Amino acid sequence: MSDNVQLKISNIDVFHGTFQALWDVSLEVNGGEMLALIGANTSGKTTLLDTVSGLLHPAKGTIQFEGKDISRMDPYQIVELGITQVPEGRRIFPEMSVLDNLIIGSYSAGARSKKMENLKQVYEHFPRLKERGKQIAKTLSGGEQQMLAIGRGLMADPKLMLIDEMSLGLAPIVIDELFKALREIKKRGITILFVEQNVRRTLQEADRAYILETGRVALSGTTAQLCEEDQVKKAYFGTDVCGI
Amino acid sequence: MGFKTLRQKINLVLTVTCVVVLAALPVIGAPQSWLLYAFLFFVYLAMANMWNLLAGYSGLISLCQPAFLGLAGYTLAIGTWVGIPWWAGLLGGAIVAGVFALLISIPVFRLSGIYFAIGTLVVPEALRMVFYLWRPVGGQMHGAGAGYMIKEIGGVSTDLMYWWALVVGIGSILLVRLILRSNLGLGLAAIRDNERAAASCGVSVFKLKLYTFIVAAVVTGLAGGVYYLYQGYIEPSATFNVKWTMTLLLATVIGGIRTEEGPVIGTIVVVFLYFLLARYAGYSLLIQGIILIGIMLLSPQGIVGVLRRSRLYRYVAECGAP
Amino acid sequence: MGSGDIITPLVMGLLLGGLYALIALGLSMVFGVMRLINLAHGDLVALGSYGAYALMTVVGIDPIVGLVISVPAMFLLGLAIQKYLMGRAFAISSEAPLIIAFGISLVIQNANQIAWTPLSRALNTPYSHMSFTIGARQFPLSYLLDFAAGVVVMLALRYFLTSTYLGRAITAASQDKKAAQLMGINTNRVYGYAFAIAMASAAIAGVFLGMTFPFTPTSGVSFLTIAFGTVIIGGLGSMLGTFIGGMILGVFQTLGGYFLGPAFQMLIVYVIVLVILAVRPQGLFGR
Repeated sequence: MSDNVQLKISNIDVFHGTFQALWDVSLEVNGGEMLALIGANTSGKTTLLDTVSGLLHPAKGTIQFEGKDISRMDPYQIVELGITQVPEGRRIFPEMSVLDNLIIGSYSAGARSKKMENLKQVYEHFPRLKERGKQIAKTLSGGEQQMLAIGRGLMADPKLMLIDEMSLGLAPIVIDELFKALREIKKRGITILFVEQNVRRTLQEADRAYILETGRVALSGTTAQLCEEDQVKKAYFGTDVCGI
Repeated sequence: MGFKTLRQKINLVLTVTCVVVLAALPVIGAPQSWLLYAFLFFVYLAMANMWNLLAGYSGLISLCQPAFLGLAGYTLAIGTWVGIPWWAGLLGGAIVAGVFALLISIPVFRLSGIYFAIGTLVVPEALRMVFYLWRPVGGQMHGAGAGYMIKEIGGVSTDLMYWWALVVGIGSILLVRLILRSNLGLGLAAIRDNERAAASCGVSVFKLKLYTFIVAAVVTGLAGGVYYLYQGYIEPSATFNVKWTMTLLLATVIGGIRTEEGPVIGTIVVVFLYFLLARYAGYSLLIQGIILIGIMLLSPQGIVGVLRRSRLYRYVAECGAP
Repeated sequence: MGSGDIITPLVMGLLLGGLYALIALGLSMVFGVMRLINLAHGDLVALGSYGAYALMTVVGIDPIVGLVISVPAMFLLGLAIQKYLMGRAFAISSEAPLIIAFGISLVIQNANQIAWTPLSRALNTPYSHMSFTIGARQFPLSYLLDFAAGVVVMLALRYFLTSTYLGRAITAASQDKKAAQLMGINTNRVYGYAFAIAMASAAIAGVFLGMTFPFTPTSGVSFLTIAFGTVIIGGLGSMLGTFIGGMILGVFQTLGGYFLGPAFQMLIVYVIVLVILAVRPQGLFGR
């Protein structure tokens, strides 16, 4: 296996109250890669991201980031370490301006000192955010809100970005723009773990992917490897996807 | 409610015996102080059961109870001044309380439980001022708003008043039991759990809360009326006073909120505390407040919570649950 | 009663509104962030009044000067209450915070009563009974001071919430708690600070209230009702909205007293609160 493992999830069980959402899930993310998490709505993808972010804690198993055990940490501590999440549904602060949303992204101590540089970088990725600086966030279009959410995540000066359902409800042309930005972000050395329903696009962009099914890891591997699995081809991808 | 097992039959016999003994207290010449204890117990029990129904089972933290018991008491009092017999005044008072609850529900039900609490806090205060300024009968008494004596009750024996209280108190236990096991109770449980989900399942959230609120108001009013019948007079500042609310809160919380046995146990403790703290009238709210906070933090399920964890209680409880 | 000059009560109502806003600003912020209606808020304001009274009668410090001591003291008390009482309450059950707040409220009431007897007190300073004139009319100086204090605190809080990291964090946490946590905001800490700031503003409110009106241990309920009425009218979470709400409530009250007599003043406030709840619960400026 690669010796560049940045995030290592080992055999975690996660519960929502008495309901078990994740069963013995293991996952590895290498530094600097773009990793996809694929699965249906009920597969536990968001639960997995929330657990990495510290909003939930595994009942069993561990999560390690750059060698440190983060399984019991509070969310704000995990952000400090360099993991940031762009949550499902964007969840920008609706009554605050675009600029304020970005600034609050740099709340953690490590990010505050680099506020201006990171802001410049965010504007390079998403020039539209600079134009709309004073606009109240809830008045932005869906695509712009997603850009804002990603930009906000970048302001936290992350090493690893978790992105949950970025393309939900957006037009293909907007999705293209967003993925272009992700590629630029990846070039800067930031690892990206993203959850997507748009399987075709996901395989085009990701280096590797994990497939989650009702709380368990069903398959994992590079795009090419996954395409070789017959059952996978039929169930998830359809033949034309893998003929990239 | 079928009584199948031997244990359940024993429990029923014990309960009935208890009630009979309590009912017989005046007749067998028990000391006046015992009667007073028991009288207060029944009055507070009815009110605490209703508060538990509202706050514990329906998610309505009502700080409005003094309004109901006060209005009922005033109906009784004023009624006796205009020739209405006391028992009609009692029943009428309960109805007045219920109607008032209906009226009040329009503003205070608009929002979630948190707003509800403040809205209901305001109501007794407003009534206190109203009755301080307004004297519908009897002309001016030393300064506007002094209280009313309750007339024409010289012939009513305290034993009779005691039995009224007993009926209301025991009745409240049965009423709560009945409600919880009915469709109303099921709906309330659903609302407590997840209001939006319940609404989308067709549960008429507003109606159920309203019914519960009105029922609670009526019973609280009835108990209040009986209390003032015994006391013989009523005046605004002690009536529309947050001390009532504190007593009910304490009784329910100490006993165990959201349990059927809780108010019973809690009321026993509260009545006991009442007499214990009578000497320290200035400190009573302070002590009660500290106890309240302590219980909520240390044992939120009250005494019942503590007991449930002990095996003896589990044994006894198996008998009572149908 | 109505003596033909409606301008005086009108102006007094507006000035009074500043005081009401002062009482309400803390409550508004705490509810916006934590969805907690602090039932003890009114009694905490009264505590501020009594604290100033203590400093004045025992040590001889002017109440406004005494703020230097009472504001940090109440701030720390607020941090403690949030950490040890309210913070835990949220985790226990949905009704626990309300019940505990209620308990705190009565403990404070009773404590004040024991310490200071039910007799009504006032913060009487050389200037608290002076008046100033505009044209032919006289107004109490204390009302003007109250208004000025209200403006200052409102602007300060507004600045804090929009231009500092912690203030922005409080604002963010009030709009979306999960997202705020994902920004690296320690929401527990933030709640503590919000509560503490509310307490500090209650201390200030207590001082100015005490200089304007006499107070008793049970005044807390009226204070809470005024604060709640102000917040209801002005909409939650908006500092400016709360300020305007205060002025509206103040004017209604003074005009009501003008037309119906002073005994009805508090009653009018209660009725207004209930009416607004019935008709437009989110307030005039609420979202």
